Amino acid sequence: MASQTAFEQEVARLIVDSLNLEDIAPEDIEPEDALFREGLGLDSIDALELALAISRAYGVQIRSDDENNRQIFASLRALSAHIEANRAAS
Amino acid sequence: MSRAWFQQQERGSPLALRIILWVALNLGRRASRALLYPITAYFLLFAPRSRHHSRRYLRRVLGREPGLGDLARHLHCFAAVTLDRVFFLAGRDDRLDVRVHHREVFLRHVESGRGAILLGAHLGSFEALRALAVGKHDFPVRVLMYPNHNEGITRLLESLNPDVAAAVIPLGRTETLIQARECLDRGELVATLGDRVAESDKMVACRFLGDTALFPQGPLLLAAVLKVPVILCFGLYRGGNRYDIVFEPFAETIEAPRGQRDEALAQWVQRYADRLESRVREAPYNWFNFYDFWDEGARRGETDQ
Repeated sequence: MASQTAFEQEVARLIVDSLNLEDIAPEDIEPEDALFREGLGLDSIDALELALAISRAYGVQIRSDDENNRQIFASLRALSAHIEANRAAS
Repeated sequence: MSRAWFQQQERGSPLALRIILWVALNLGRRASRALLYPITAYFLLFAPRSRHHSRRYLRRVLGREPGLGDLARHLHCFAAVTLDRVFFLAGRDDRLDVRVHHREVFLRHVESGRGAILLGAHLGSFEALRALAVGKHDFPVRVLMYPNHNEGITRLLESLNPDVAAAVIPLGRTETLIQARECLDRGELVATLGDRVAESDKMVACRFLGDTALFPQGPLLLAAVLKVPVILCFGLYRGGNRYDIVFEPFAETIEAPRGQRDEALAQWVQRYADRLESRVREAPYNWFNFYDFWDEGARRGETDQ
């Protein structure tokens, strides 16, 4: 199993907490696995709630018209990288 | 499965549709309405599946065995409303007598700037609302719907009015509801239909017309997550050239915290089903779900026919 970086651990916890995923522990999320559909099985309402949680926690807006969404939502690793690259300098 | 509508093939060849469209646009509503009689007869004779589901539904709502006249009236109503979509979308609805009831409910939410969800059903004409609100009056209304269902007819009709087509938020993508949120954040109203379950929907079993049927949780879940109000909207066809568009306040806020979400939402979805039932009883021939809505086939071990 590939290991999560410290920031990925934080994002994994945000995913599990904000989506109330009962059967999954943050450390169980494989960094490279798909989050949506066949992977963790998240759907459009999960995407919305995750986007709201990311906006609250990091001030990063995920826009529906961003052409990179497929890539951003592809995996924990990709999502974490996107947040890190775009988060408000604090 | 009551999701059967999803796989259902649209009836009527593209050529027949084009002919009807041509007659409607060139010869007008009266001439094209003459075509409704052969169309109804065609469905009555050659669409056993629609006829079968119409009969089962009418038996429930009328509380008696429906006669051939009831079936014909139901199919004729569907054909008439479908034809009128042409006139609504082409902006040629001046001959139609459309009365709006409780317009203030709608306007209050347009003006509030908070956004709202406009929830309808496959009852009568949602097109009446869509075309008048978006095409004619330019109200900020977006429509959340599946893009490919009934592809032929929808594409043909939407080509009549690009503004209306452009107001669609297509369901089925990961970012669909993020887009819906952006619209609501701008104070727009997002219209959708709450009576059909699609493949990926979470479902709620509700009492509806005396039996259990599945309804999607999605529209009210969206309202709960985004804390926006919900209003109901139905475009009821009364026969002749008469339509009544009715708005109803439904919920100012829906509380459904994660953890108790399913229980909380089940009550709201049941409330929607109750309101829908009351409108269905008021306009029984406006019900356009010609498939196994109550899952009777599955429960009896039949294959959906």
